[in-house]
Formats: sequence, C-alpha cells, structure tokens
Amino acid sequence: MKINTLLLISLMILVFTNGAKADYTEADVDNSFYPYKNSTPEFTGYEPGLTINQKNVDQFKDILDPAMYKLIKDGATKMDTMATDSFDLHPNYVKATKNAINNPPTLKEDGTIANYIAGRPFPSEPDASDSSAGTKLIWNYQYGYNWGDNAAIYPFYWGYRNYKTGKLERTLKFNFHFLNWAHRVNQDPVPEITPNPSKLFRSIYVQVLEPFDLANTQLLIHRYQNDLKRDDAWLYLGFQRRVRRLATGQVTDSFLGSELMIEDFEGYNGRVSDYNWKYLETKNIMLPFYRHNELPNLATNIKDKDGYQFVDFGGQGGCFPKIKWQLRKSYIIEGTAKDSGHPLSKRLMYLDAQTFTIPRQVMYDRKGDIWKTFIIGQANPLYHLPKNKNSGVSIDDSFMALDVQAGHCTTGQFKGQVDPKLNPTSKFTVQNLRKSGK
Amino acid sequence: MNRLKKYFQAAIAALLFSACTAQAYESEDGSFTAHGYIENATYQRFHGVGLSKIRNTGQVEVSKDFGAVGLFSSFSFNGTLRGTYDAVYDVNDDEFGDNAGAPISFTSGGVPAGVLGPGAPAVPAGITTPWGSSIVTAGNPGLPGGGGFGFNVANNPNEGLALLGSRLHGDDGGVLLGVPVRPCDVDPRGCIDGYLDFDSDELKSPEFNDRADFIREAYFSGTIPLKSSELDISFGRQQVVWGRTDLFRVLDVINPVDFSRNNIYDELEDIRIPMGILTIENRWGAIGAFDDLNLQFLWKWEKFRPNKLGQGGTPNSILDAGSFFRAMNNCWENGCTVSNFAGGGAQTDFPAHSIGIRQAVLPDWKLKETDVGLKLEGIYKSVGFSLNALYYTSQLPSLRGGVPAVNPFLGVGVPFPDGQTGGEEIPRDYLIAFDIEFPRILLLGGSADFYVDSLKTAFRTEVVYTNGEEFADTTNPRLFSRSPVVRYVFGADRPTFIPFLNKNRAFLFSAQLFGQHILNHHLEDAPLGKIGMPDWKDNWIGTLLVKGFYKNDQLSPQVIMAYDVRAQAAAIAPSIDWLINDNWRLQFGANIKLGTGARSFDDIVLLMFSHHSQEQELLAQVLDWVDMSH
Repeated sequence: MKINTLLLISLMILVFTNGAKADYTEADVDNSFYPYKNSTPEFTGYEPGLTINQKNVDQFKDILDPAMYKLIKDGATKMDTMATDSFDLHPNYVKATKNAINNPPTLKEDGTIANYIAGRPFPSEPDASDSSAGTKLIWNYQYGYNWGDNAAIYPFYWGYRNYKTGKLERTLKFNFHFLNWAHRVNQDPVPEITPNPSKLFRSIYVQVLEPFDLANTQLLIHRYQNDLKRDDAWLYLGFQRRVRRLATGQVTDSFLGSELMIEDFEGYNGRVSDYNWKYLETKNIMLPFYRHNELPNLATNIKDKDGYQFVDFGGQGGCFPKIKWQLRKSYIIEGTAKDSGHPLSKRLMYLDAQTFTIPRQVMYDRKGDIWKTFIIGQANPLYHLPKNKNSGVSIDDSFMALDVQAGHCTTGQFKGQVDPKLNPTSKFTVQNLRKSGK
Repeated sequence: MNRLKKYFQAAIAALLFSACTAQAYESEDGSFTAHGYIENATYQRFHGVGLSKIRNTGQVEVSKDFGAVGLFSSFSFNGTLRGTYDAVYDVNDDEFGDNAGAPISFTSGGVPAGVLGPGAPAVPAGITTPWGSSIVTAGNPGLPGGGGFGFNVANNPNEGLALLGSRLHGDDGGVLLGVPVRPCDVDPRGCIDGYLDFDSDELKSPEFNDRADFIREAYFSGTIPLKSSELDISFGRQQVVWGRTDLFRVLDVINPVDFSRNNIYDELEDIRIPMGILTIENRWGAIGAFDDLNLQFLWKWEKFRPNKLGQGGTPNSILDAGSFFRAMNNCWENGCTVSNFAGGGAQTDFPAHSIGIRQAVLPDWKLKETDVGLKLEGIYKSVGFSLNALYYTSQLPSLRGGVPAVNPFLGVGVPFPDGQTGGEEIPRDYLIAFDIEFPRILLLGGSADFYVDSLKTAFRTEVVYTNGEEFADTTNPRLFSRSPVVRYVFGADRPTFIPFLNKNRAFLFSAQLFGQHILNHHLEDAPLGKIGMPDWKDNWIGTLLVKGFYKNDQLSPQVIMAYDVRAQAAAIAPSIDWLINDNWRLQFGANIKLGTGARSFDDIVLLMFSHHSQEQELLAQVLDWVDMSH
C-alpha cells in the first residue's frame, strides 16, 4: 500500500513537473560558462578594432540586430569594436551549477522551477524543438549572477535627453542596491539569508539623491521565490514623507519620467510568469561588452570622490554610450506580455550566452510597433574598480533607452560596486525607507 | 437649477502661480550635502479680493553624515532652514494689511411691537445702523438692559472691520458679528495673547518668531547595532509622520500643522510645524512570521504648540475659525454689535465681558503633559500594518463655557431677587462666554496597506479611536461635552491607461474616503428647535486625484476633487506642473469651491424676548463656527 502511494506521488510529480529534467553534463556547464575557451566568433570581413559606421554597416548587417543596424545606417551612431573577451562569472556560481548535475532543477508545467538551489538552472544549449526553451533561457537570466549576491550602483546618473536636439533636459542621481535573499553562492550566508519568512528571492532598493523635486524618493521591490506571487513594491515620496505601496501598474509605467519602467531594470525586472517566452535562435552578434578602464573617452563632467570616471555619451542626441562592442554568442528570445493591459506587446531580447545578461533589447508597443531600443553596456570586472576585480560579475556599466517614437532617450552612467558593506539586509526593509527619507 | 445657482454663488475661485528654482552642493567626500530652493507662490482670488498671496520662500536643507561614532554604527545630522516673505500684506494692504477692513453696518430683520419689552415699539425691517449704534444699545428708552447694553466706540471704533463670514455667505437675516481684520500691531482688537496675535512682521515672515520657526528641522539620528536588531535614535526638532493616507490627518497628528501658510493645499511636509521630539525605534527586520517588525517610542518634549489656524483678516484662516475667534475676543474685551439678535431682528450692542472669548489657555510645559506615543509597525504576509497609541494634547481648540461674565439684561448696580447685582461677573450656564482650551486626548489606532492583484489596485487604511475630544453641545451648561470618536480613511491607488489622452503613460487615480463617527453624539428636539451637538454624528469626505504625465513627466496636469457629504460642498483644484529643468519649476492652478456656504444650526426666529432664548439663538449661530473649527 505504501509502495503504491509512493508510486502515485512520483507519477504526480512527473505529471506536474513536465518531466523536463535539465539533464546536463559537466561539459554542458563548461560550454555554457566558457564559450570562448577554444575559439571566439568570427565573421567574414570583421576584424576586432574596426568601427562599424554608416558607410560600412551593410557589410556587417548579419552580425547586427536590426534595430542597431538601422541606427547605424541612419548615422545616429557608430560602433567601435574590440576582440571578444571571456567574462568569467564567479567560480562559486559555476560550482553551484555543477553541484546540481545529479539533481538538476526542473521546469514545471506552470513555468516555475522546482528543485532549484543555486547556479545556472538550465546550462544546456537551447533546443529549438523544445517549446519551453525560451522560458528556460529567461530563467537562466532570472537566476543569473547578474549582480552577484549583492551589489550597489553607487552612484548612478540618469540623463533625460532630447534625441533630436541633444538637449540634456534632466539629470537624476541615484543609488541602487541589490540583494539576493536566496540562491546565494558567494557571500555568507549561503544559499539563503534567514530568517526569510516570506521566502523572498531578491530585493532592489533605490534612492534618488537629485534633483530637488525628486530627492529622497525611494523605491523598494521585493520579489518572491514563488514566481507566481506578485512582487511587492513601495515608494517613499520625499515631499509626502510617506511610504506608498505601489500598484502593479506603476511597475509597468515610466519610472520618474524616464524611458524605463521598473520592469525594465537590469534588462528585465519582472516575474518570469508575466510573459510567454519563445526561443528564436542562437546567433553571433555585436553586443556592448568592453573594458571600462581601457575606454579611450570617459566622461569628465562628473567629479567622483574616488576619481572614478563614468562612461561618456555621444552620437545622435548624445544618447549613445561611447563604449566598445564585441562579437558574441547570443540567444535571441521573444517575450509576449500575458496581460493585455501591459503597455508592451512584446520584448525582443538578445541574451549574452556566457553571462546571461540582456545587453540588447527591443520593446514593442501594444500595436506591435517598435517603441524602445535598449542597450546595457557590460564591463569586464577585471578592468573596472579594484574592488570588482574578483567579483565574477559582468558589471552593468552604461545604458541607453531610446524611445524611437517620441524621439527621446534616457542614458545611464554607473559606478557599479560589488561590495556587501553597501547592502546590509536592513537597507531592504520598508522601515528603512521611512528612516532614510527623513 | 436654483440649487445649482446657489452653489455657484458660494463658489470662491483662486488662481495659483508658483515658480521655484533650486541649487545643490555636495562636499568632496560626499558626507555633507546642502540643497536649497527659492519659490514664489502668487495667488489671485476672485470675488473682489485680488491678490491673496505673494509668498517668497527660501529653504536650505543640509545633512552631515558623521559615519560611525562611538556606540553608533552611523550618526548624522539633518537640518532645514526656511524663511518666507509674503508681500501680499504690503501689496494688497487694503484687503489684508494695515488698511484692511472698513466701517461696517447692520440691517435689521424687523421685530414686532412689544417683543422687545412691554410697550416697546415695532422695529421695522431694513433699518441700517453702524457698528456700536444699534437699536438695542445704552440709553435707548423702552428697551431692555437698563444701561447694561452698549460699548465704548472710542475704544472699539467702527473702522478696520469686516462682517464675519461675509466671504462665505450672505447674512440671510441671521446673526452677524464684526471682526477686526488688521494685523495686531495696527489693531490689537480681538488678538488673543499667545495664540492668534500676529503683528505685521509675523504675518509677512512667520518663521521669524519667538519659537525660532526658521529652524524648521535640526536633529541628530544614529543607529546602534544590537545582537539581533538595530536601535535607531533620533533627537531634535523634526517631523515624525505616522500613517499611510494623504490629506487626512488621522494618524499623522504628532506635529501640529500651519494651516495659515496655504490652508490644506500645500504639502504636509511644508506645513507641519516641526517639534522637539525624541524617537527610539527598535528595528528587528525580518523576525518570526514578520518580514519586517519595528517598535517605536516617541516623546514630544518641546512645549505645546497648537495648529496655526490663521488669524482673522489674513488670507488663509481655515474655515474662518480665526476670524470667529477674533470677533468673539473683541466682544469680550471691548464689546460688540450683534445683528438680528434682540427679538430675532434688532441689532444689539453687547458690553465687554458679557459674551465672547476671554482667553486661550495654552498649557505650560509640564513633564506629565508632554506627548508620548508607541508604534508597532511591520509587514506580515505582504500586508503592511501599524498599531499606534498616542497620548497628546489636542492641537485644535475647544471652547469651554462657564466663564464669569456680566448679564447685560441686568442694570448695572441693580440688585435682583436671585441675589445677583447687575454688572457682576459670575459664571452663567449656557452663556456664550468661552475660554479656549486644549484637552488631553488618548488615541489608539492602526493602519494597513495591501495590494489586490485582481483589481490592480493598492489599498490603504487608517482607523483611530480617540477619547477626550470635546465638541460643542448646547445641552451642556458649559456648552461642550466630551465624546469618543472613531475616524477612518480608506484609500485606493490605481494607475490606469487612458489611451486617447496618453497612449504611453498611465494616469494615476487615487481615491480616498474619510469618515468620522462621534460615539456619544446627541441631538434632540426642544420647543425652540434642535439642541445638542451641531456636529454630525457621522460624516464623510471623499477625495479623488487624477494625475497625468507628459513630456517625460516634465508636464504634469492634475485635478484634485473633494466632496463633503453632509455639507454638500465640493472643492476642485486643477493644476499643471511644468518642470522646466532640474532647477526651475512652474506651477499654474486654480481652486474652485462649490457649495452653499456655512451650515446653519437651529436658525430659529424667536418671538419671545427672554435673555435665555436670545442667548440660545446667538449660541446656535456661534456654534456653527465652533463646529467648523473642528
């Protein structure tokens, strides 16, 4: 009788988990984390170091995403290139992935993950015949080593710019803080901070420092380990000195007038279950990866107490980061919003295959027209702040979100710091909003 | 249609123009920051008022982070300095400054023959008499008083006066008072010592007073790490904010509020009156079943300050309570004319110390009368909550009768059968002679917020129970009684796309419903009308904010609407905010009020002329104003 019960339970688990075992090997893990170990991508006529511009862009159309191709073709920007770098993520994250080989995470029917502890959940190459391949890839992003166990962008400058005239309309200065409560691999406690009564996965805390009308505005987002549970978010408004709970609509609306929604943070800051995900193809394309300290033109207009220099911007409207691009392996996926009231119809994402960051993305409005194009520049931690050197984090270092319909962009200049001291758990409480906002 | 017309007759509209510019400084190491701005807010009020505000504000906010100091893992100082100059008192001095007001007169409603006394002639309707020369006054033969009525017009002249409430409603044949409207250094009549006695300089630049209000905030705060929690200590002049709702101060009652700055229309951050407060808060963070848990102890140690209601004669005298207080204090100090009083239709000159407000009794500092509070706040299963308790001194005034006063119906020096002598000041039941007091109140309450995904709406609520509040009550010989009160606010926020107005950016819809329930309310029928508490047993106010955003939020139109269910009055405030750049901001708006003006309570016509019934009538009118001050 007991055996029958166990059998039944086992069958039920199989049914409800879709039987989608990761079934990956150590070689799969190595291939996933070190794709450039033996060779780097090549393309006929492409030599790292050349500049792709309006004149020669047609020659490289096949290694450009269509939106970037059009921008270069229109003369809005050019693309300085460099050799492909290996952005090695932290060895503990790789180790956690390997540790799960014998008991790998599985994708459930409802799109959530079972049996996940830490590491990259689905390191195998995506299979075009697998209808859940897109979902697995976005899970690799969601549970990626994006900012490690915690990090801060401290400070973080956003510029609101008129794409047509180049006028810098507003400059916002923030501090951003990130903390993983669970699935940690590097900083104690691992894999989870306790107590964690609501089983939080991740928190983001944002503080606006300037300008005066927004100073003291703070944002706190709690994401749960249960991906079907809606995020909780709170906003502290300095002029009210009060915490307001955010409705979801505010997460999918312009954040403080920028081209970004809260859902856009880090490339995608929603639940996996908010979209239907479809894997399109794997392709070598140009992605914004570079060595920050070796960039020839860093900004000189922002004075930092440590002498750090931020990425500079130029091109049409001053909207484009003056960075370098690498030819890299990318997984292209499409996310279609499940909520018919969502302002986006879909997101076209170019995931970097090695880091599972989202350095390029195109967003479409409800009519299906291109609305925004999004660049997040990735800096190699070996060529950034000294404290980031052994972080194993692909450092988000610059961004540009261009509203192609309105002719307006938001630019971002980061000082990313992988430093646990900047991100104590007490910073990620609602009460901290009240305390810090005084 | 007539009703609508009446509504618009009572409408008061104002236009707002506000411009602001800001600058910032940060030290090289980032530990010291200073932000500053200057702002001009100019308001034009219609209905013949003209400019009602030309307010120029300069504000500097500084913060210094000292890092770790001794026991403290972090220690910092925050300060806010503010100075204001409102030029309206110079520019529109005919309305609000040294030359405000004018001689006033009153028109009789008419009194039949014999009503004012045996053999007294009829008083025809429509007789107009100036302040201090009423039909019932000193020396009028055949009228009551025997010399007890009347006041010295040389000390209380007919100049610099306005009819109380005349901006809100017509006289409608009811009781009217005159109110002095010039700054207290120009005309000290009706200025209540220590409460509403502001001179020209204090009206123009209210921060520069004997409480050093230009130091809006100056406090130290630090964090002491404990084994399983943190202890946050904050000490100094500061704002401490409780609660989760907008506009309504149900839990947010720790700091008093300066309504004289711009009524309720400025942000609470700018109109709370910072006080010397100590807070000690233990922050556990996540503990047990709670995602966040904190316990705060609060002690407001600075000497009591009431809300600033706005002095009579100033542009922002909320509910015109300050004007009523000033009119009544002038009645007490100098005597005053009251229209349609004697016989229900004849102007009457009351002598000093017969009716009015004698004084404001502001509590001295005593340890046991300082305010203390406790707050337990946290998050449980995604629901934010707080439980609050506060024992404090009411920041709103209470009018307590029973003040010793003369009875003008009794001739001065004349002995009467009940043992009184005319002109004697003794406590008299039901007499409208008051002191302003500030009772102690115990508040118990809580708040919560949560999100309902299926409605895509965030909800918030506050509920409090208070014990100790005082309400006008005509059945009580001292004309007030205490009652526990329950107040509550429910609010909801929902961002909603309106594609034909903006296809890319949602509009914020934010609605709130505020309710008040007086537990021991009583109102009863008496031979001459209703008696008891003029305030409603239950009343509700609803608000709705609709806010849109254009041009990357640099252009933001909004409209705020409020509706008082019982008063059947509404306010509509459309505005547009233009952020020109990081340093300049321009705001343009209007404020339109719709309604029938002040509510009348027991507006009876008296045919009998006995001193008690007359007082009851005047009392009924007076209580309207008292009621409004709550």
